[in-house]
Amino acid sequence: MSMPPEAAGDLGGAPVAARRGSLALSHHAWIVVGRLVLLAVVVAVWEALARNNVVPAAFIGQPSIFLPFLVTKIMDGSFIVGIRETLTATLAAFVIGGIAAILTALVLTASHTVKALVDPFIDAMNALPRVALVPLFIVWFGLGTLSKIVSGISLMYFILLYNTLAGAQSVEPDHIQLARSLGLSKRRIFTSIVVPTAVPSIFAGLRLGLIYTLLGVVTAELIAGGKGLGSLISYYSNTFDANGVFAVLLVLVFLSYVLAAIMTRIERHLTRWQR
Amino acid sequence: MAAVHEADVAIRVERVSHVYSQQGRTVRVLDGISLSIPRGEFVALVGPSGCGKTTLLDILSGLAPLQSGHVLLAGKPPEPGRRDTARMFARDALLPWLSAYRNVDFAARTRRGASDDARGAILALLKDVGLEGFENTYPRQLSQGMRQRVALARTFSLQSAQLFLDEPFGALDAQTKLVLQDKLLSLWDRYRSTVVLVTHDLAEAVALSDRVIVMSARPGRIVADVAIDLPRPRSVRALQSLRAYHDTYARLWQELERAAGAADVDAA
Repeated sequence: MSMPPEAAGDLGGAPVAARRGSLALSHHAWIVVGRLVLLAVVVAVWEALARNNVVPAAFIGQPSIFLPFLVTKIMDGSFIVGIRETLTATLAAFVIGGIAAILTALVLTASHTVKALVDPFIDAMNALPRVALVPLFIVWFGLGTLSKIVSGISLMYFILLYNTLAGAQSVEPDHIQLARSLGLSKRRIFTSIVVPTAVPSIFAGLRLGLIYTLLGVVTAELIAGGKGLGSLISYYSNTFDANGVFAVLLVLVFLSYVLAAIMTRIERHLTRWQR
Repeated sequence: MAAVHEADVAIRVERVSHVYSQQGRTVRVLDGISLSIPRGEFVALVGPSGCGKTTLLDILSGLAPLQSGHVLLAGKPPEPGRRDTARMFARDALLPWLSAYRNVDFAARTRRGASDDARGAILALLKDVGLEGFENTYPRQLSQGMRQRVALARTFSLQSAQLFLDEPFGALDAQTKLVLQDKLLSLWDRYRSTVVLVTHDLAEAVALSDRVIVMSARPGRIVADVAIDLPRPRSVRALQSLRAYHDTYARLWQELERAAGAADVDAA
């Protein structure tokens, strides 16, 4: 049983990294083209349905009307006010809710007793559809920005709290044993092992939370009115202007897409070891 | 091992027993284990799975409490994080968010603080285990064999006098195993630490050790303690064609069979 000197081991041991060729790129290009075609088909069918009155344009709007309408509204700045209003409240709720959730998770991870104590209440709060609380928030905090922010926080806080706790609990027992065998203190085990382990799920929570915060803010605006994008939707639908509604919806789609893309960028950078 | 002078004993274990309680039932995993290991000796613990090998290693490394009996490492009781002990795990236990270099560095730094010559020493160790060029690679991008090489480098970077290795090559394919066993032997030749290696692979135990301790099925007892008289320095590959190696293996296999048989009778 003679073995070739050295090297024989680690069969298939080459690193998995760097395996993207030109083939993958052209495949990606095809996908992009395919998506554009799909979009064009949807818009064309939509336009045809509305134009031929198969479904009344008053119900579903008409792309050839609301797309130019959207452009005008953005150019003359009347949507910009709404965008600024909604984004400001969203970011405020994201930051406040995010910090509160991380701090809560810190306390709950540090103390098993506190966690055992409040666990069922957090579960109950999370099971509650918070959007249903929006009318109450408006009663408590008025029709202004504050009730919107609180509505956003109520979504952000629980989403991030859950993700952070789940992340902190997914620590591998082997890593704890290693840390103990190296002589790390409890505090250092937390900072060098538990926190890095939780980073991917914290970021998943931040990304999801940001989108839901926007949802919470827009919901409050729908009900409370004011100057935000939600209020615009509510105004247009109350005046039976489907084209107006779709124009604002497109703005919202764009905003949440951009927000999610920014979060994904940051996330990919901080969790590059995962790939 | 009565002939060994007391000062040369690295590890002394006396009448160590251990029980786990599991769903209200107590399970005795170790039963009156006594052994003493001279400094610089390479000892393998073999036995059926569940015989308490890893528990004994946990007690030695201070990761499990000592319930009864006495344990002294270089004259002092075990304690987690003792500078003169290092533990290697069955799965690599690499931190996935740190590169190969940083994984070794993290351990070395935790133990011995930061120092300027540490970097050179770590790079040299990584080269020794065949990871030159992979210093900045993350564990996820390394094969199982390469990850265990990092773990090996990490263990030796601690420069501890006592090494506790828990089936370090158990998850590897046969060829990778041979390569890493030779790496382990050459590192051990250089540092001459006292090693306790837990393994279920008898061939590995014979090839690497000075002495093989055979344990019975649960509750673990020592049923054989066999000296391995094979020349050093060894190469696991060269041993494969050495008659004495196969004879020793066969003899130990019979011991193990007899131990298993005795354990069966015991259990009946």
